[in-house]
Amino acid sequence: MRSLTVTQAMNEALQEEMRRDPTVYLVGLALYPSAGDSATGGLVEEFGEKRVRSAPMSETVIAGSAVGAALAGMRPVAELHLADFAFNALDEILSKAGKWRYVHGANHGMTLPIVFLQGIGGYVSAGAEHSQSPVALYWHFPGLKIVVPTTPYDAKGLLKTAVRDDNPVIFFTHKLLDDAGPVPEEEYLVPFGVAEIRRPGADVTVVATSYMVTLALQAADNLERRGVAVEVIDPRTLEPLDIDTIVGSVHKTGRLVVVDEDTQRCGVGAEIGAQVMERAFAALRAPVGRVANPNLPVPYSPPLEAAVLPSVARIEAAVLATLDSMR
Amino acid sequence: MEPLPEEQLELYTLMVRSRAFEERAGALVAAGEVPGSWLSGIGQEGTMGAICQLRPDDYVTYTHRGAYSFIGRGSDPGRLLAELLGKGTGYCRGKGGRHIADLEHGILGKSGTIGGHAPLAIGVATAIQIRDGDQVVVSLFGEGTSNRGTTHAAMNAAAVWRLPVVWVCENNGYMGNVPAPMYTAVADIAAMAPGYGMPGDVVDGNDVLAVHRAAAVAIARARAGDGPSLLELKTYRMRPFGETSTDLRDPQEAAAWLGKDPIERFRRRLVDAGVLTDAAAQAIGEAARAEMDAAATYALDSPLPAATDAFEDLYA
Repeated sequence: MRSLTVTQAMNEALQEEMRRDPTVYLVGLALYPSAGDSATGGLVEEFGEKRVRSAPMSETVIAGSAVGAALAGMRPVAELHLADFAFNALDEILSKAGKWRYVHGANHGMTLPIVFLQGIGGYVSAGAEHSQSPVALYWHFPGLKIVVPTTPYDAKGLLKTAVRDDNPVIFFTHKLLDDAGPVPEEEYLVPFGVAEIRRPGADVTVVATSYMVTLALQAADNLERRGVAVEVIDPRTLEPLDIDTIVGSVHKTGRLVVVDEDTQRCGVGAEIGAQVMERAFAALRAPVGRVANPNLPVPYSPPLEAAVLPSVARIEAAVLATLDSMR
Repeated sequence: MEPLPEEQLELYTLMVRSRAFEERAGALVAAGEVPGSWLSGIGQEGTMGAICQLRPDDYVTYTHRGAYSFIGRGSDPGRLLAELLGKGTGYCRGKGGRHIADLEHGILGKSGTIGGHAPLAIGVATAIQIRDGDQVVVSLFGEGTSNRGTTHAAMNAAAVWRLPVVWVCENNGYMGNVPAPMYTAVADIAAMAPGYGMPGDVVDGNDVLAVHRAAAVAIARARAGDGPSLLELKTYRMRPFGETSTDLRDPQEAAAWLGKDPIERFRRRLVDAGVLTDAAAQAIGEAARAEMDAAATYALDSPLPAATDAFEDLYA
């Protein structure tokens, strides 16, 4: 099978969906003439400047106009570059896209088919306002689907599903996840709400998304040599969340560690940990472990950044801690 | 182009019906029937001069204030009042209250944040532009809303993209009880228009035919694909900020504006022109009040939603 990067896979997904459906269009900063190798690169040549819209420097305009266009029957893909920048459009994303249908009682079958593309992640010395991964923030609010792809295969299949969904979708891609991987030539979709077991194991369940999956798999490799079999689960979407697969794994292992690049407080680990306790408390043989940012801004200098963001070593330690705590 | 006599009578009737709706809504608030409140647009019905010209397939984004967008577009007053009363028969099944959408009539919903609708307006206009349509979006906002970054960002984008938007600022001079000079240094919001590269026009908002004339130019420009315009309607709200709010404005100022009531002015003008008789005006008023009484009865008689309805409508 041929190999594509996440960026190339997303580019292909957008091209296919724009060919398939004339209501799909892109809006974002600098989509041309300089989009280059990005997920939106090269599309203006095929689809023109009306459907590949280079926006003024305003996330409010990018996100808010996407909501309005969706209300008028379009399927916008709003490229917000970094999640850090998307904070400028939180009213548009959280209170307009997320709540508009509900608040207006689904008036006349109102739908809001919007994809908000946001880049996340640190480990690149980009500083506090270019390194955030505020996935849990969006998960906290009602009405938004949340996609966190890891592989090029998933990035393409999930993006096509996101474009076809009649609801707002936040689609997070990590700065460091751009290695090539197999992507079939023929069309396919990846459904929301179906987790992928990246690596089976019987001793400890590790739930991780996005770049954290890469770190968790490295930790699992290292721990295997010490006789610990780690099962790594990639939920792929957080809303909807495939909690059944996670709970099923915990019933097998009795131990759970959740890895999240975001700040720990009120985070992905807190939510998944609480859900597992509600659903499978009797199966747990140790407290749920969390590996996350210890509630700090992401610092610039490499040793400082490494001290804050999750690492393979911290994941290994958290897994071993669940084995120390026997009951 | 001046509306024909029969069009002027239609416009007058719409204004009277809008006011009758607002009076009925205010009475329901006073009677304790409304779980929230209503923000009255009484005194600002001159805006109807813009709304009444729209085609059925055009769009409106409205502010937190007034009923003229709905009445002018043909929404059902019974379903509007039912929504205000939190009833399941309301436009938003009781989930919106005074935040109402009527997609069938191109009214896209109400932003809870002041100015939150401006970026949505340019999105609707984007959809029109991508489809090569000739519809327009009329986006109402208040002079206080001109403070918000969303307003500025959306106006800039509308001008850059040459979108079919008519920005209509209803300048009633107050943000709650705070007078405009305390939050805006320029006297005319329309003065901002050249800064975005679009035409701006200051209009007597209580002269509905003046509003009609100015809006006709802006709507034609938008429909022709020549881009947005900004109209500023100088007006005054004849009710407090909300129906349950305390009015701290100068009573003498309010009394002076009462003499400029847009509906009464229009009525006198129509009578003077021989288009309307006092008896006909009386009949229009009575019919409007009877219509809104019937709407209120429908709303009051409608059932409250079932608690289980709270769990519906989030996702399509």
